Amino acid sequence: MTSASTNDIEFRSVTKNYGAVTAVTDINLTVPKGAFLALLGPSGCGKTTCLRMIGGFEQPSEGTVLIDGREMNGIPAYRRPVNMVFQHYALFPHFDVEQNVAYGLKQMRPKLPSAEISRRVAEALEMVRLGGFAKRRIHEMSGGQQQRVALARAIVNRPSVLLLDEPLAALDKKLRSAMQIELQTLQRELGITFVLVTHDQEEALSMADVVCVMSAGRIRQLGSPQEVYDRPADLFVADFVGKTNRIDATLEAGGITLRLRNGSAIPAANRAVASGDAIVAIRPEAIRLTRAATADLASFQGTVTHRIFLGSSAEYAVSVPGLGDFLVTADRRGLADSELVEPGEAVFLGFDPKAAHIFPASSAA
Amino acid sequence: MATSPETKKRLVTAALLAPASLWLFVFLVLPFIAIVVFAFGERAPEGGYQPSFTLEQFANLGARAAAFKNTLLLAPVGAFLCLVVAYPVAYYLAVKASPRYRLVLVSLVVVPFWTSLLVRVYAWMYILGARGIPHLLEMIGIENVRLLNTPGAVLLGIVYGYLPLMIMPIYVSLEKLDRRLLEASADLGAKPLSTFFGITLPLSLPGVMTGVALVTILLLGEYLIPQLLGGGKVFFIGNALVDLFLQSRNWPFGSAIAVTLVVVVVFILLIAMRIAWRFAGTRQVDLV
Amino acid sequence: MSKDYKDNLPISASGFMDEFMRLKRGSVSRRHFLGITGLGLATAVMTRFPGALSTPAYAAEDLGTQMSIATWPNYHDPATFENFTAATGVAVEVNVFGSNEEMLAKLQAGASGWSLFVPTNYTISTYQKLGLIDELDMSKVPNFSSTTQNTRFTSEGQIDGKTFAVPKNWGTTGFAVNTDKLKTPLKSWKDFFEIAQTEADGRAMVHDYQLTTIGSALVSLGYGFNSIDAGELAKAEELLIKVKPHLYAINSDYQPSMRSTDAWMTMCWTNDGAQLNRDMPEIAYILGTDGGEIWTDFYAIPKDAPNKAAGYALLNYLMDPTNAVKEHIANGAPATDSRVIELLPKEITSNKIVYPDEASLTPLEFGAAVTLTDPARAELMARFKSA
Repeated sequence: MTSASTNDIEFRSVTKNYGAVTAVTDINLTVPKGAFLALLGPSGCGKTTCLRMIGGFEQPSEGTVLIDGREMNGIPAYRRPVNMVFQHYALFPHFDVEQNVAYGLKQMRPKLPSAEISRRVAEALEMVRLGGFAKRRIHEMSGGQQQRVALARAIVNRPSVLLLDEPLAALDKKLRSAMQIELQTLQRELGITFVLVTHDQEEALSMADVVCVMSAGRIRQLGSPQEVYDRPADLFVADFVGKTNRIDATLEAGGITLRLRNGSAIPAANRAVASGDAIVAIRPEAIRLTRAATADLASFQGTVTHRIFLGSSAEYAVSVPGLGDFLVTADRRGLADSELVEPGEAVFLGFDPKAAHIFPASSAA
Repeated sequence: MATSPETKKRLVTAALLAPASLWLFVFLVLPFIAIVVFAFGERAPEGGYQPSFTLEQFANLGARAAAFKNTLLLAPVGAFLCLVVAYPVAYYLAVKASPRYRLVLVSLVVVPFWTSLLVRVYAWMYILGARGIPHLLEMIGIENVRLLNTPGAVLLGIVYGYLPLMIMPIYVSLEKLDRRLLEASADLGAKPLSTFFGITLPLSLPGVMTGVALVTILLLGEYLIPQLLGGGKVFFIGNALVDLFLQSRNWPFGSAIAVTLVVVVVFILLIAMRIAWRFAGTRQVDLV
Repeated sequence: MSKDYKDNLPISASGFMDEFMRLKRGSVSRRHFLGITGLGLATAVMTRFPGALSTPAYAAEDLGTQMSIATWPNYHDPATFENFTAATGVAVEVNVFGSNEEMLAKLQAGASGWSLFVPTNYTISTYQKLGLIDELDMSKVPNFSSTTQNTRFTSEGQIDGKTFAVPKNWGTTGFAVNTDKLKTPLKSWKDFFEIAQTEADGRAMVHDYQLTTIGSALVSLGYGFNSIDAGELAKAEELLIKVKPHLYAINSDYQPSMRSTDAWMTMCWTNDGAQLNRDMPEIAYILGTDGGEIWTDFYAIPKDAPNKAAGYALLNYLMDPTNAVKEHIANGAPATDSRVIELLPKEITSNKIVYPDEASLTPLEFGAAVTLTDPARAELMARFKSA
């Protein structure tokens, strides 16, 4: 197939209503060929609706969805060059593994020779490492194996876009990490566009090369995982992607200084607001926890109230008078004596104001 | 010694099952044993039953060969016709109908069961009779059309009478069908018709087989509809049994026919279950 | 078309229910249809209060407080039993049946509990042979008058000169013809079977009852109604199978089809003939000049009757012409006792369908016990129906 566009998927001002309820509003999005896009957001944010509009299971109420440069409005699912790995897999229970995988190939017109079908099914099963399972019945397979069958069934048709609807949600944690790596490898091998829907930010950040954070039917931020994590566009993104400490403050001196509620002042950087009430967002790992006072421009004294030991690091909850509770992730090597701090101990917290992001207080949810 | 929880549980189960078991034993098992005993007996000179042990009644089954032939033809043909009419209705109710009206529509399917089949078949006698549709046809110039007491009228009555029994199991199996499987099929390039024959139909087969088995079995004993809408000119096993028990009082011969019919029913059930199991890919299928 | 189409459409809800209830009560086809649909096994308790309040009028003997009777649907004036209870203190439980065969089976099974029942002529010898009924003690039925009874009807109740049963009423089996539809005048069963294949092609009905259907076919061929001769039966079978493709239906429930004019001609019992003719004068009731059936329903007392005294008392009460006449007005069947006929209104006794000329009854025969239970005839009927 000669490509008409350098973009595999394009949303142009797409709005989708269900009766009086608006699922997504004015979505504009382009996914370049070969990208691994993650649609990330809480449930009800509209990410699945977007995926289903690509798949052809929903039609936009307004605007256009393009696949490979062609308008898809009105084109049913069975005529679209995309395939989907469904949540809970949607495998056909009355077929064995081989029949499930061959299903899409058997629908092709003109008909494929049966030898060709067998060859491609075997190839796809090898790819997902299910070589010996062709004759198994679906209900005889484990969750992880079913997930691979679903994957094989979708990729065997060589779609230009593979859609994945919460593909790892039903797997246990260990299997999930293994599958994350496998999916990444598979995407590189196939060289086709993947669109993943997930509510798990860790999954999105670890696999995708483009993350689209959505909330309430709108796109909040589109960017690489690092961009989204390091430079959240708004407080929602900062909150939803990773963990964040929020500090109430007021911008003073024309926006150069932040006055915190405990009276201390720190320089303002990364401003998204010029003046007035603001919220400072700072990642737990950007805060240093020490037993002695630090030379940081932003430094407070507090008391450890809880500790969660994570092996290579530890999470502390620290109560700072006048500012509230802080969550701090401390690398054990970061502590001078590499000793764990005990709850009840007095500690100092410090951070570089450049690592903080300042959002208008009105954006707080 | 206190009873263990295990024993207690078993006693409760037994107590709960006792009324049904007793009922089945008294009204199903005992009569069936009586019929088997009768089947090996002789007709008393004035009719009824006379103890004996003879295979004469079974040897004589050929005398009702036509009844068996008609019944074994009518039952599957009737069930198939029911299926053809019922499937789209069940499909509409389970898949297409708005959930808001679904309950109302499903109830409408069941409502006719609240009146006796006899009354409903009698109504059809009027509709098909000379003062029903033929009379309306006369008004547009088509004279002397006879609809009642024709094979067509019998088939119509059968489809009408047994439709709900066919719709309900198919509806239930279609309603349970995971819609995502249909989306998956479409996603893999299957056109709606391919999706129907490749996914929907096979997965609703347990319901289809339940309906077919149910209707076929009931049709094997059907008596009223052929009698009232067919004019009694076609002879089924049901007619043969009524005549033998209530007219000529040849109970042993009637019993032999009834026993044979039961054997045929069991045989049909076994076949239907096998087919359903094969297609559904599991043995978790209950028929009837 | 000058008439409004609604005039001919009986599908109004009330009309339909009337018709259906009539069917259910069993007045349609003299009881046969009821039996096969299972509607006939209903038991109605007429009155059941204890007799303590009323003083038995003729309590020479202790009649007890209750008895039960087995009879046919819609066959009695309900007031009869109420009056009997008022007079004697005995409450009457009424059991209705769909066929003689059912009645026989129930009595044969024992413990029926009946103290009086109403068998048809051709079953009486069977009851006697099986020892299910006793000779009647006529001294306990003083109201019975042998001199005013038509002996044509009483004889079936006599076996070896002993009286086992006394007649309730009688009737005939002829055929009904819609004379608007069929112009050829019909006189005999021979005519019936001929016209059924020609002018009435697809419009004639025969009973789903071997006694009358095979009997009438035999009569049309010049044989006896009760023949069990193999050769004669073979001829009758040949005729029936030849006629079958031309028939509208084999069904004893013929009134609806005749009323709707789906059928133009049918085998028919007296009461149905009278009802059809009353409502649709174009339907004539014809007795075959070549023969046919005549029947009588009798009263008899089971050998194991739990309350024989009350059974005799009720029988005697029913034999009183002033009581019996109400029964005949209620069920419409002809009476056997001239004392009763004298009391009947003129419009009933002058109805030629109910009270035909003596001469037209001459060729008619009573059905015989052997005819009813003959296995060869049962098998013939099965072959005819399955042909």
